[in-house]
Amino acid sequence: MNHPTLRRNLTSFSVAFLLLFSVILTLSPAVRERTWQTDLRWDHWIGFAIWLALFLLVQHLTSRRVPDSDAFLLPTAFLLSGWGLLTVWRLDPYFGARQAIWLTASTLGFFLLLRFPTDLLFLRRYKYLALTGGILLTALTLVFGSNPSGFGPRLWIGGADVYLQPSEPLKLLLVIYLAAYLANRLPAETFESLRAQSLQRVLAIPLIVPTAIMTGISLLILVVQRDLGTASIFLLLYTIILFLATGKRRVLLVTFAGLGLAALVGYFFVDIIHARLEAWLSPWTDPSGRSYQVIQSLLAIANGGLFGRGPGLGSPTLVPVALSDFIYTSIVEETGFLGAAALLTLLGILLTRGAHAALTAPDRFQRLLAGGVTAYLGVQSLLIIGGNLRLLPLTGVTLPFVSYGGSSLLTSFLALALLLRVSSQPEDEPAPLASPRPYTFLVGLFFLGLFASALATGWWAIVRGPDLLTRTDNARRSIADRFVQRGALLDRGNQPITITTLRENIFVREYLYPDLSPLSGYTHPIFGQAGLEASLDGYLRGFQGNPSSLVLWHNLLYGTPPPGLDLRLSIDLDLQRSADRLLGEHVGALILMDSQSGEILALASHPTYDPNKLDETGDSLQTDPNSPLVNRAAQGAYPFGSLLDPLRAARFGQVSGPEAAQLRAFYEELGLYSAPDLRMPVGTASTFGEIENLRVSPLQIALAFSPLSNGGVLAAPRIALAVNTPAQGWVILSASRGPLPVMDEAEALAAAEALRVSEELFWRYGARSSEKEKSFAWFVAGTLPNWQGAPLTLVVLLEEDNASLAMSIGEALLKEALEP
Amino acid sequence: MSAVLVLILRLALSICLYAFLGWALFTLWRGLQQQGLALALRKAPALDLAIQHGQGGTTRRTFQQTELTFGRDPACDLVLNDDAISARHVRLSFHHGQWWVEDLGSTNGTRLNQSALATPTVLATGDQIECGHTAVIVSIGASADPSPTTRL
Repeated sequence: MNHPTLRRNLTSFSVAFLLLFSVILTLSPAVRERTWQTDLRWDHWIGFAIWLALFLLVQHLTSRRVPDSDAFLLPTAFLLSGWGLLTVWRLDPYFGARQAIWLTASTLGFFLLLRFPTDLLFLRRYKYLALTGGILLTALTLVFGSNPSGFGPRLWIGGADVYLQPSEPLKLLLVIYLAAYLANRLPAETFESLRAQSLQRVLAIPLIVPTAIMTGISLLILVVQRDLGTASIFLLLYTIILFLATGKRRVLLVTFAGLGLAALVGYFFVDIIHARLEAWLSPWTDPSGRSYQVIQSLLAIANGGLFGRGPGLGSPTLVPVALSDFIYTSIVEETGFLGAAALLTLLGILLTRGAHAALTAPDRFQRLLAGGVTAYLGVQSLLIIGGNLRLLPLTGVTLPFVSYGGSSLLTSFLALALLLRVSSQPEDEPAPLASPRPYTFLVGLFFLGLFASALATGWWAIVRGPDLLTRTDNARRSIADRFVQRGALLDRGNQPITITTLRENIFVREYLYPDLSPLSGYTHPIFGQAGLEASLDGYLRGFQGNPSSLVLWHNLLYGTPPPGLDLRLSIDLDLQRSADRLLGEHVGALILMDSQSGEILALASHPTYDPNKLDETGDSLQTDPNSPLVNRAAQGAYPFGSLLDPLRAARFGQVSGPEAAQLRAFYEELGLYSAPDLRMPVGTASTFGEIENLRVSPLQIALAFSPLSNGGVLAAPRIALAVNTPAQGWVILSASRGPLPVMDEAEALAAAEALRVSEELFWRYGARSSEKEKSFAWFVAGTLPNWQGAPLTLVVLLEEDNASLAMSIGEALLKEALEP
Repeated sequence: MSAVLVLILRLALSICLYAFLGWALFTLWRGLQQQGLALALRKAPALDLAIQHGQGGTTRRTFQQTELTFGRDPACDLVLNDDAISARHVRLSFHHGQWWVEDLGSTNGTRLNQSALATPTVLATGDQIECGHTAVIVSIGASADPSPTTRL
């Protein structure tokens, strides 16, 4: 293997990668805001420069000090740490700068360890001293422990902004201790004969007892501290090293069974384990509570998709603790499945080379040491990546080399130094090895884990991604709304109702006619969407109506949908204003519709609210006893008293009441048992067959009476008339069904005539109804069949016992609508 | 258009990343290939064995492979029909540039040059391996010339 060429190539590729990463990060604000008139990002270049200087220095010095060391390990580790550094910097420049300092300190530690004599005898000799020191330091956190973020488990020691998490280097000390102890004290029998013995006899060797005690003490401290992730790593490391030393696969099985049992016991008796396991097993039941983190992590991965959003262009900061525990998620969001697969392959290379160093080690101690260090890197990476992907329960550990955290970075680099050291003696004959099986088995297990992680990433990012991204707890939708123009809602004369305007490079939704809000609704980052803003979201957001190639292109470029499309509603703002004025402070609803086309010309629901002030009033609106958020005209369900009598009379005659079955069939024909189908949120209809308990919305009543003005034909209701597409201009949005003839023309004419008022151009009818001490006043009216203009139907409902008011409101509006 | 520029840069970014991986994996594969070739070139010196059976009579055999086992089991390379010999009794193997002899946990043990064989030991020409009533005298060939083997 040609070391210098390999090193040079790998170095150039990783430098080019991070250079491009930095350039993209610099340009990212311009892409996000779609303008060059913005501040570009420059600060992370400091991080890049520090990384580059350290990398070149380390390359130079290692090739002089340990020229024969493994040529893959160093570039791979530095690529990972540079990728991590820039990702951390991108998430938070302050922590990025700290990470750069820690990287410098870690490199220093790396060199110090490399300067020690080749055979690492000192580590072997002072194993107890080192481990005891580490345990004592960790124990100190029980008394003096603190947490830099001010809350959570106190696992750190330090102050004045420098904190050390002793349990991180303790992992390495444990590995050193175990390797040294087992290499020294395991019987000098050959490996093969040890394998031949039964597990009980191997484990009964009293010599193993001290290792169990030392590991037990470390574990105990971690369990008391509730650092359960690190505790499981310790247990796994202990068993893996024991497995490597003895070749007994059963050791692993026993530990896995033990961990499973501990999890089971913890599930029932320990709150934190219960919460973590619940969040793992059934995250969808509590997405805003204990499984918030993991769901947000999956949403970030879904947002990454195949190609990722590009460095600086995703929203990974939405995931809590993105810096350390969820750095993998951040990386996937910005580099996609492709980046994730590459990251996992890099880890695979690291682990393979680690195992290779172990196999070619010149003595048993160094072999176990390299094996243990490899196990540390593998176990910790898989635990946290699996936790991010919901493959495993979440454990708050770091991703070696990548995550933010000084102790973690330092430990990773010390581990790297140990591996390089062990790998640097190719002229020495490798120590005899009875069977490579434990090592190949371990690497196989790690590969399996990495492969499963890649599959899970692909599952969440590509297969489940599109579904996940439409979840309402995906804040990326409202972030996209700030940078992409949302379509406007216009009235039938193209007067704006709700529009989006640009203020300081940010799009803001403006509701120009707030009184229509029960119908038009709102779109808000916290309160979500309601009304037409919700039901027409596809067009307003640009997913629908645009060519799919444009949607894909924008998704690739920006990770957002293309600019939204304007929609023309059937509302006539002049009539709407009159309707709102007439209804005034009264609680109730009003609908005026064109009986022929089904277009709703005015729809009022009072009380109303101002969606421009949702920030302040949103919470109180949701608990308001008058429920202003409800669109009474379409979502209300009211008793209707004798209101339908004229229709019944028209169908069945005055004298004898119809049979229940006939009546049901008639109501069904009029659409009283089904929710009207138009692009607007409507209430659920009463179940088929109800007569006494039938509840209807004013919209249903307006539709049921509309045949009187329309020659017996029931038109399909419409609210959204047309959408303004970039390719074809205004495109008509057709109604959900064609017109339905429900009475013959003579029947409709007779019914209308029966309700006609002399001297007027319309028929009218009023009724009262009541339910649980609450009274309602209904009024319906409509144009006569011989009316030459567009036929109209009007419904007024008041939640008060005031029939004359309902009539005067209705007649006033109808007269205004009929005036030329 | 900044986004198109960044898209091209993102493409280049992925290419760099995968170039790193591709190069690393290619080199790993080539290393494996070279290691395989080197191993294939390495030949163990032939082993000439003079087998003195308990009931008298000597057979000579030459082995070319790098590992062989003695025992009563027909699957052994050298099948010895001797009651005092275990099914798989002793193994000779070539590694680290040497021929080694190793007892496979046999019932009656193995002796090398009149002393009991406890650990794997390096063999030299003239060494005598005794198992059961059989003695085998080893001579390690200098070259790896293929020569016909005699059938027992």
